[in-house]
Amino acid sequence: MAKVEKKRALSDDRLRDFLREMLLIRRFEEKVEERFRAGELPGFLHVAIGQEAAEVGVCAAMEDGDVFGSTHRAHGHTLARGTHPNALMAELYGKIEGCSHGYGGSMHLYDVERGNLGANAVVGGGLPSLVGAGLAFKLRDEPRVAVAFFGDGATNTGTFHESLNLAQLWQTKTLFVCENNEWAESTPGWQHSPVFDDMSKRALAYDMHSIKVDGQDVEKVYAKASEALDYVRSGAGPVFLDVETYRMHGHYIGDPQVYRSKEDRDEAAERDPIVRLREKLQVSSEDWQTLEDEVHGIVEGAVEFAKNGTDPQPEDALKNVYA
Amino acid sequence: MATDVKLPRLGQGMESGTIVKWLKAEGDVVEKGEPLFEVDTDKATQEVEAEASGVLLRIEIASGEVPVGQRIALIGAPGEELAISGAPEMTGETTLAPAPAARDTEFRAAINGAREENGGRVKASPLARRMARERGIELAGLTGTGPDGRIVAEDVERASASASVAPPSPIEPPPPAPTAAPPSPPAALPVDVEAIPLTNIRRTIARRLTEAWQVPAFQLTVSVDMTHANALLERSRDLNPALRITITDLLARVCGSGLQRHPEVNVQFSDESLLRFPSANVGIAVAAPQGLVVPVIRSVERLSLAEVAAQRLQLVERARTGTLQLADLEGGTFTISNLGMFGVEQFSAVLNPPQAAILAVGATTDRPVAVEHEVRVLPMMTVTLTVDHRAVDGAPAADFLRTVKTFLEDPALAL
Amino acid sequence: MPELSYREAVRDALATAMRADEDVFLMGEDIAEMGGSMGVTQGLYEEFGSERVRNTPISEMAIVGAGIGAAMQGMRPVVEIMYEDFLTLSLEQIVNQAAKHRYMSGGQIKVPLTIRTQGGAGWSPGAQHAQQLEAWLVHIPGLKVVYAASPADARGLLYSAIYDDNPVIFFEHRLLYPVKGDVPETLEPIPLGKARVVREGTDVTVIATGPLVHRALEAARVAGAEGISVEIVDPRTLQPLDTDTLVDSVKKTNRAVVAHEAVTRMGFGAEVAAVLQEKAFDWLDAPIERVGAKFAPLAFAPAMEQFVVPQPADVLAAIGKTLGRA
Repeated sequence: MAKVEKKRALSDDRLRDFLREMLLIRRFEEKVEERFRAGELPGFLHVAIGQEAAEVGVCAAMEDGDVFGSTHRAHGHTLARGTHPNALMAELYGKIEGCSHGYGGSMHLYDVERGNLGANAVVGGGLPSLVGAGLAFKLRDEPRVAVAFFGDGATNTGTFHESLNLAQLWQTKTLFVCENNEWAESTPGWQHSPVFDDMSKRALAYDMHSIKVDGQDVEKVYAKASEALDYVRSGAGPVFLDVETYRMHGHYIGDPQVYRSKEDRDEAAERDPIVRLREKLQVSSEDWQTLEDEVHGIVEGAVEFAKNGTDPQPEDALKNVYA
Repeated sequence: MATDVKLPRLGQGMESGTIVKWLKAEGDVVEKGEPLFEVDTDKATQEVEAEASGVLLRIEIASGEVPVGQRIALIGAPGEELAISGAPEMTGETTLAPAPAARDTEFRAAINGAREENGGRVKASPLARRMARERGIELAGLTGTGPDGRIVAEDVERASASASVAPPSPIEPPPPAPTAAPPSPPAALPVDVEAIPLTNIRRTIARRLTEAWQVPAFQLTVSVDMTHANALLERSRDLNPALRITITDLLARVCGSGLQRHPEVNVQFSDESLLRFPSANVGIAVAAPQGLVVPVIRSVERLSLAEVAAQRLQLVERARTGTLQLADLEGGTFTISNLGMFGVEQFSAVLNPPQAAILAVGATTDRPVAVEHEVRVLPMMTVTLTVDHRAVDGAPAADFLRTVKTFLEDPALAL
Repeated sequence: MPELSYREAVRDALATAMRADEDVFLMGEDIAEMGGSMGVTQGLYEEFGSERVRNTPISEMAIVGAGIGAAMQGMRPVVEIMYEDFLTLSLEQIVNQAAKHRYMSGGQIKVPLTIRTQGGAGWSPGAQHAQQLEAWLVHIPGLKVVYAASPADARGLLYSAIYDDNPVIFFEHRLLYPVKGDVPETLEPIPLGKARVVREGTDVTVIATGPLVHRALEAARVAGAEGISVEIVDPRTLQPLDTDTLVDSVKKTNRAVVAHEAVTRMGFGAEVAAVLQEKAFDWLDAPIERVGAKFAPLAFAPAMEQFVVPQPADVLAAIGKTLGRA
């Protein structure tokens, strides 16, 4: 019990760490947008601007040995679980120094050492295997949790429903984290889900324990995520963590968001989790500038690293098909 | 330093956009993040924000379609001097989409290598074709027993078993118009077919003649009235019974003179230059027991007919006993191949690389010929000259051949 | 030599692996107490319990996905998809996830998952319970595909599939389950990627899979009486394919017939025919013939089903065509 309480009481230092983490993700994503517009990044990209608190909060509560799978919007989770910005940026540039060695790109980020079992480009596609991982932990009696990140759009897919059903039935050590950013691409929540106003109803259908949290407050997210992870880790069954967050930018870089009103987008800016935490901690201008400079240096360094990286040989395309 | 404003890539797949409206004018102060201009993409018209703060010093493209990455304006410090720019710069090529590796060389190699003849419209199974190729059998002459008259392996086997066309022994003079490209690996042969291992000489013949086959060559044929030549030979034999002077000897001597007259045929093509030889070293194709050999009679133009015959006798003897020296085989500039003794009327020989010409000689037979509007029966011999077109053109070759014919028809002119 | 039915052979491979290795466990619909809809897993629940022989809900995506996830954590799950027609429901997980994790991660991940399934016509199951879909999976880089035709092959290959570090789709056939055959005294793993010459001959090579191996044997007997010597080769592993053995055989006989129960058009036979003509073109004395189901879903009425599904007579006819004379 004592250990759990200690974990929950967040010191200012810890919160500053979170702030730095969130700011790093934010500036990283902005840099990614900038480099994309400059034509340097192949493929397409989805940034998680506005969802940093949700991601940092949950990821910080995870432990070594836990595994997770993310979605097409995966940069935040990847950085928050410890993948170096250099490795991530290099992957976006398609270099072999990238965390997936150039084979995956933005939507297929893997870092097995840090428990990252892959970002998934198929909505809901990663969930079943996180049920499987949770099953393995249970069968082997390991105190590890498999965390499945997904968005509100995924809650309508067959894989989502089958996964929750099976996880609850078999009581697998799986944590389902729904980052409800209220948009499934261009479709707002009310248009795609009959339970959009309360996503945890989804869990109810499977008799699964659910926890709801305000995703724009990293402290709250951390607390609730810790609670959820403890629950799952203990073997009490899977949990549905309903994180209410907000997507500040478009679905993908370049999305003109014709489907969203300007007021709507402005409102999103008011819910900026970084601004909220900065105000809460009353960070001085000097300290803020120091932080910005530090983060700026890291992000610029990542771009440098990536640009100087090694391109894979064309023939490398035929490697790694089979083990 | 002024900052370039470039047309950003607003979406994956976007190659260009149309500038619709500038929201700021030249000279205006601009804040980073402020909407700067409106652009039309194929998805929507959208505002683009300034990426830097300062004064909008110059708008280079006011409106119209612009490729992604092109500079369209400059933002800098107030009053900053700008370099005169002519055409706006393009951004350097990005790391995107590296040019696909050119497969041209592979493609060209494939189409140039595979210039195999297809046997025309003859229907035959791939196996039958290969067998026919390997055994030197013409598909066109076979009847197919497969569906739709397709020639199948069995048909080729039947043909090769019964045919006396293909010479059984390996002793052959240069074969007539070789048919195909490099041989493919052997099939599983029916039990009664013998697989004779290749000797070195056979391999060498194959290799050199394959080389020659790749040279662009043409053939010229002429028929010669051998009346006078035959008479000359008879008289020579009477004079010199021990030394049987033959047509080949006469041909060698005559060609020697011809080559002196037409030195542009006594040449060899090399990558850097055309090599022209002062003397005619004429090779005679001999069917030795171990295979085809071409011993050379050097400087034929200086020898008398008797001397040519004597040398020829010696060389052929050495060829037959396998005692030819390297010196006997080197240095040839022209070759004569005579299959007349087999009754062959006419054939084309394969060039003897690196020589530029070879004369194929047929049998002398009595033939009805039109001479001054009358039909006469004359002893005619048909010769065919094969020429390396890289080294010798048609006209000089034809000229040489005409000289040879003239010399043969009136030998006194040559000697 | 001892004899096992194909069904027993599959069961034996599973049991042998599970006895030796805690990490091997089974998931599938009705595989526990009921022992599987085809009776393959009978007795395994009794021996290994419900943790290792897990009945699942009707949830093909989740079942396969759970298998993928457990495999990624180093276990060796064997998932049963009751009818291969239902593979369609789990294809997203098989094709987009299992087949690609290793590649997309740049080699960081292994998915040692085995998916067993069965299909096949001949007992009026109707169109949605009788398909043969192996060609779809052979087409996906990252997957391995096995189709055994005999008990010894089924046992040896399934064991190897379980221990292969790649996702393997293991196809069985409904009508083969009761077929008995000799098996080695103890389980001998058969490596994936090696074909088997089932019958030696000199006049024509028949490359056949699954039940068509047996129908080809029947056709070969009839042909033999006419003096035609038929060689039959079973690839056994469809991906990776033992091209060398197939090509060597055709180079020997100069004629080829490819036979499978799946629909001929775009079937696995098309790939084999293409490979043969590429590598043995100059040895072919006749066009390559294909034997497979006609291009229609499978009818229920037996007379219609018989018409569509390839029979020994169809193999014999194909053999005849390759030897045909005008």
